[in-house]
Amino acid sequence: MIISSLILKNWRNFADISVEFGERVFFVGPNASGKSNLLDVFRFLRDIAKPGGGLQKAVEDRGGISKIRCLAARRYPDVEIEVQLAESSEEKPTWRYSIGIKQEARGHRRSILTYEKVWQNGNQILNRPDRDDNNDSARLTQTHLEQINANVNFRDISRFFESILYLHLVPQLLRYPEAFSGSAIPGDPFGRSFLERVARTPELTRKSRLKKIEAALRIAVPQLKQLTDVKDERGVPHLEAVYEHWRPRAGKQREDQFSDGTIRLIGLLWSLLEGESPLLLEEPELSLNAGIVSKIPALIYRIQRQKKRQIFISTHSYDLLSDKGVGGKEVVTLTPGVEGTSVMVASSIREVQDLLQGGVSVADAVLPRTTPPKVSQIELFK
Amino acid sequence: MEPFPVSLAVEDQLSEAVLKKILRFAKDRYLVSTCYNRGGFGYLKKNIAGFNNAAKGIPFIILTDLDNSECPPVLIREWLPYPKHCNLLFRIAVREVEAWLLADWNGFARYLGIVKKDVHLDVESIKNPKHLLIELAQKSRKRRLREAIVPGPKSDAKQGPDYNGALITFVNEFWDIKAAMGKSLSLKKTVKAVTDFKPVYRN
Repeated sequence: MIISSLILKNWRNFADISVEFGERVFFVGPNASGKSNLLDVFRFLRDIAKPGGGLQKAVEDRGGISKIRCLAARRYPDVEIEVQLAESSEEKPTWRYSIGIKQEARGHRRSILTYEKVWQNGNQILNRPDRDDNNDSARLTQTHLEQINANVNFRDISRFFESILYLHLVPQLLRYPEAFSGSAIPGDPFGRSFLERVARTPELTRKSRLKKIEAALRIAVPQLKQLTDVKDERGVPHLEAVYEHWRPRAGKQREDQFSDGTIRLIGLLWSLLEGESPLLLEEPELSLNAGIVSKIPALIYRIQRQKKRQIFISTHSYDLLSDKGVGGKEVVTLTPGVEGTSVMVASSIREVQDLLQGGVSVADAVLPRTTPPKVSQIELFK
Repeated sequence: MEPFPVSLAVEDQLSEAVLKKILRFAKDRYLVSTCYNRGGFGYLKKNIAGFNNAAKGIPFIILTDLDNSECPPVLIREWLPYPKHCNLLFRIAVREVEAWLLADWNGFARYLGIVKKDVHLDVESIKNPKHLLIELAQKSRKRRLREAIVPGPKSDAKQGPDYNGALITFVNEFWDIKAAMGKSLSLKKTVKAVTDFKPVYRN
């Protein structure tokens, strides 16, 4: 299943947007235009649906409604999210899920639903607030999505949201986990417990994935061989590889000796192979050689041929988008303005469409639009 | 009159600053929508068919250096062997945009702090204006500018570490287009073309 469309009102940078998605989506935009905040909407839905999650926690983890609400918002203080889910981009959406959230005006100032609605194949099967909600307003502090008793008719949506994966692997976290102690961030978005995730995977699957990753790694880092996972004497999982050098017996290295690029590439490849659910990748180009970055779109395509999973990628990379196989319909541009960030599918912009028709690559046609208009004034920084 | 939107395509940051200054000089008739600038003439040449096609929706101004090509008409024929859209303005600096900076000789000499007699009057006949500009900057009495524009003694770079920054400051704050137009025909023609440009809009 894929998220085929998204409507947002008052979500962070976005005052009011509506956008459609296919199987592969590239988000581009200047710094601070809201690429991560757009990805965060999917994580928010996941946080509502997952076990131990729920609406209150999902909002609290983000610092409350006031942090979520769009700064550009004026008259409409409610946050609203609507997504449609389809089997694939060629099919009509099966599900539509829509919620509105606001903050209680007084008292505990909890987050409360202004509505929660679900449609299946065009028929509405949930419409809150209903009579029960009106009799007991505390009910509106929870979505039906997060409740097994209440979501029986649309549990597919709940399971789908719950399965959304996000990865923005920070090599330093993985290399020096003890230096970043303290409570873990829910969902481990930055990969601190990535190695535990690898170790928890059933052995056969794990071995087969590591083998595939090693084969791919061998091209990027030819000196690295025999990637395996091991546990140290305290039972802590590690990744280990043989690093070839001039000595006849090459030395073994663990992840704390791997380069940033190697770690990020392993994380990227692992997350592509893991699961069938939508995957959110934040700037996968970081630390990687340009030649490897330019292969990422095709890599994603190959994964998608095997399993129909949707992949969202935020990127600044010219190399990544230079792939001629990336179409203007797959690229979503974010443009900040005084009324919040506007979001458009690149091919719906006339100028981009004409450039693409004239043989210009997506990178050449779209990325110049994301350059801040006053970037030349950086010269004034003396 | 309302300014009208236009997209630009240029070779480098310096050309971008120069073209934007010319647009401001042309009584601010324009509002720049997007500036396509990925470095080098190869990029412009590769994408010119696309810019020509996009010109039907939004006017395009392209600025490139003549470099070693024979003359502007030959370069245009070589780059655009098919009909040019009337909303595409294709301008060429003879031989490089740096020559347009040198064309305001008084201003440039004052900015660098060099003796004015080093002047080369016919800027269009300079074979390699960038090379000359760097040579001149070497004589600059202003150490900060000299070090920014000229590659260091042990460096094998083609330009100094803040070449663009130093020259863009000159373009934005001191460059006298009127004076420069008197010394450079290609600049004079470009300013006139930009001032007279009348794009056709079809919705």
